[in-house]
Amino acid sequence: MKAPLRVAAILAVALIVFGPLGLIIYQSVLSEPFFSQTAKFSLEAYRFVLSDSGFHSAFGTSLIVSLGMTLIAVPLGSVLAFLLARTDLPGKSWLEPWLLVPIFLSPVVLAFGYVVAVGPVGFFSLWIKSFLGRIPWNLYSLAGLIVIAGLTHVPHVFLYVSSGLRSLDPSVEEAARVAGAGVWRIAATVSLPLVAPSILFSAALIFLLGFELFGLPLVLGDPAGLLVLTTYLYKLTNLLGTPSYHLMAVVALAVVALTFPLVYLQRRLLRTAGRFAVIGGKGQAVRPLPLHFMRWPALALVVLWLAVTVVLPLIGVGLRSIVSQWGEGIRLSEVLTLDHFRELQGHPNLVRGILNTLLIGGVGGALSVAFYTLVALSAHRWQSRWTSALDYLVMIPRALPGLIVGLAFLWLFLFFKPIAPLRTTLFSLWLAYTVVWLAYGLRLISASLLQVRPELEEAAQTIGASPRRVMRDVTLPLIRFGLIGSWLLVFMMFVREYSTGVYLLGPGTEVIGSLIVSLWGTGALDLISALSVIEVALVGLILMVALRLGVKLHA
Amino acid sequence: MPDLTVSNIEKQLGSTQVLRGVSLELQPGEILALLGPSGSGKTTILRSVAGLERPDQGQITIRGKVVFDASRGFEIPAEKRDLGLVFQSYAVWPHRSVFENVAYGLRLRRVSDDEVRKRVGAVLERLGLGPFAERYAHQLSGGQQQRVALARAIVYNPPILLLDEPLSNLDAKLRDDARAWLRELIKQLGNSALYVTHDQTEALAIADRVLLLDRGRIQHEGTPEQIYGAPNTLFSAEFIGSNNRFEGTIAETSGERAVLSGNGWSLKGNLRERKAVGDKATGVARLERIRIAPNAAENCLSMHLSANLYLGERWEHLLVLGDLRLRVWGEKALPEGDYSVLIPADALWIF
Repeated sequence: MKAPLRVAAILAVALIVFGPLGLIIYQSVLSEPFFSQTAKFSLEAYRFVLSDSGFHSAFGTSLIVSLGMTLIAVPLGSVLAFLLARTDLPGKSWLEPWLLVPIFLSPVVLAFGYVVAVGPVGFFSLWIKSFLGRIPWNLYSLAGLIVIAGLTHVPHVFLYVSSGLRSLDPSVEEAARVAGAGVWRIAATVSLPLVAPSILFSAALIFLLGFELFGLPLVLGDPAGLLVLTTYLYKLTNLLGTPSYHLMAVVALAVVALTFPLVYLQRRLLRTAGRFAVIGGKGQAVRPLPLHFMRWPALALVVLWLAVTVVLPLIGVGLRSIVSQWGEGIRLSEVLTLDHFRELQGHPNLVRGILNTLLIGGVGGALSVAFYTLVALSAHRWQSRWTSALDYLVMIPRALPGLIVGLAFLWLFLFFKPIAPLRTTLFSLWLAYTVVWLAYGLRLISASLLQVRPELEEAAQTIGASPRRVMRDVTLPLIRFGLIGSWLLVFMMFVREYSTGVYLLGPGTEVIGSLIVSLWGTGALDLISALSVIEVALVGLILMVALRLGVKLHA
Repeated sequence: MPDLTVSNIEKQLGSTQVLRGVSLELQPGEILALLGPSGSGKTTILRSVAGLERPDQGQITIRGKVVFDASRGFEIPAEKRDLGLVFQSYAVWPHRSVFENVAYGLRLRRVSDDEVRKRVGAVLERLGLGPFAERYAHQLSGGQQQRVALARAIVYNPPILLLDEPLSNLDAKLRDDARAWLRELIKQLGNSALYVTHDQTEALAIADRVLLLDRGRIQHEGTPEQIYGAPNTLFSAEFIGSNNRFEGTIAETSGERAVLSGNGWSLKGNLRERKAVGDKATGVARLERIRIAPNAAENCLSMHLSANLYLGERWEHLLVLGDLRLRVWGEKALPEGDYSVLIPADALWIF
């Protein structure tokens, strides 16, 4: 690729990253929405938000939730990672893909499933009540929110810690074994301390994700009156009757002010993680550490976590979608129905939403992967200030929750008249999705590019191929499988996406995820359950294809 | 006119100076080996010639045409230099068949399909790859992949062949055969070749001329016989061959000769560097040039035998005198005791 093209690609990234962010900053210092004739420079919005007690409590709740879920997800995820990466746990190979499933499930769907399963009148709650006479937990509480957020974020920790453990030289563990240490002692004194940088990194990640939570607090926190920063922002939309864009901009910036340092911290941690890793020789055919009589209890732990985190909410969603109503004293056999799915057909916007979801996942996902590939290639084997600039650029969308990116793009399409007609088309949504998943997509593509040994490209170059031909004849053909895998993963993420489309939702831009969020406000549980089942089925289908093709589920 | 002239190239990578002013010339039809330990900069020189690395200083000329000149900031990119490069890892493209790997360079040069088939076929036949034309890299052995890489590099008749440790990924046994075969092939093709290796035997066997490198500088340049038989620095003496080392001080000098003496011994040898009486100095003697000689008188040391090692084709004896330890080759195991070791004055180089 020629230098001007590389620079152009990086500038395009800068444009779609800084455009929305710049608009938020601009809006935050106006007295009124930017389209109002009377809007002028003012810090009034900052004064209002920063002195609002609702904002203070939302901030506090976000902090507690983030901390709490980190304290649950990190230890549990680390133990699961050790069990699956290092021990002779039975059934490891088929357990592993299941462990990653929560990453591909929409939090709104999960939260909805929990409500149906273990809510005050959930089927599981009622079953327990029939034994105990009462329900020993309250889902709609801070504790409930923290536990569920913690459990559903275990896979993120698992991913990073297990990849750290896999790059560990097994001989350090074998040395401890020979010295007489049992498997738990090895985990506690050798393996996990050696991957401490990975654990720390995942802790920073979970803490960050805590501030970006939206679906879980929306569904689980709302009934108890609990607001976190994102749901506070969401409620603000209609707080004052008129569009309160300037206040929303300030809240959005407050979130970014919290998340950006965390993203930066992660970047630093990742660098140290690379430096501390004890990378071993071949790393293959290593005998796993024997758990002996602890094999089955360990397996029970993993299965229990899976049951609570994946099976329980999914059964909840599935069950709710095929019953006409639910509550105490209702017999399942009397209320079975497929009416909810039939009812969907009567709502053109919902039908369009399903089609749009497929379109933006399949076609949009492919276009995004093409864009990510162009960007990744423009930084490929190029030592330049531009590539390190790209490195920093990519950090910004990671600090922006989907909800805020969606909001910013709504404003962008309102603000710039030439592109305004695109607001009601899927293009606006696709652009926002592409920005939200930029870091993820680039990581997938660069991981494929990293596998191409430089000599393979240099060989073509010395034989006489121009840089463009090297790319066409060697680099791209070699990563084509990685590109297909990336497309499938991005497809799933786009189908699962819900928060980015919330503000962009309108006729023509409906997608399943944002429809569920807006239906949640109206309490249309029948339709939500049917849509959720369709979304889970879509994701499940793509996941199966991906696993069948042997796609690695992470970069 | 030389095929290749490299003048005074320097290269800094991070904080290390990889090349500190290297110059060399490659005559038509000549095989020049760049020999040195890892980190000596030999691969960087080769990659600079190929255009894959950009030196900070210096000039590179191929057949009279300047391809790189740091003073003018001028550089012809790798793909326009028309060279053939064989990589250490072979870099056979896994997504192309053997035939397509080899044909690639010809297709880039817009050779007609018929001609491509003919020329690729001829090269594959010549390298014994005829039956494997439709195979892919993963269906080939290491030796076959190495020949594909070679075929790919020579099919379009580049004036200079660059080889980056081409044999180091082969099994030891295969390597000995490939060495002879490779030299024969290059000589038949008539190309000049720049051959990077860290293996001294390989360099001596395959090259017409050897450049010995250390830490980015040329230490010694000469024919294989000169490199082995008349080293001019301590580094080049010790890098090549199996050696004994004598640490001592100069006791007397007369012209080329000097007497080196250590703790309880004193030996005559040839001065290879300017030294004065009283200077610290190091003597080096190749193992095959010293022996146990019961009746010799001149330049002998009486030493105690401390171990016999059986090496297959010969025995190696370890002899000790104070802190001096010598390895000597012999034909049979020796009983314990004291022996007289002969170190001919011509065999002892003093640096």
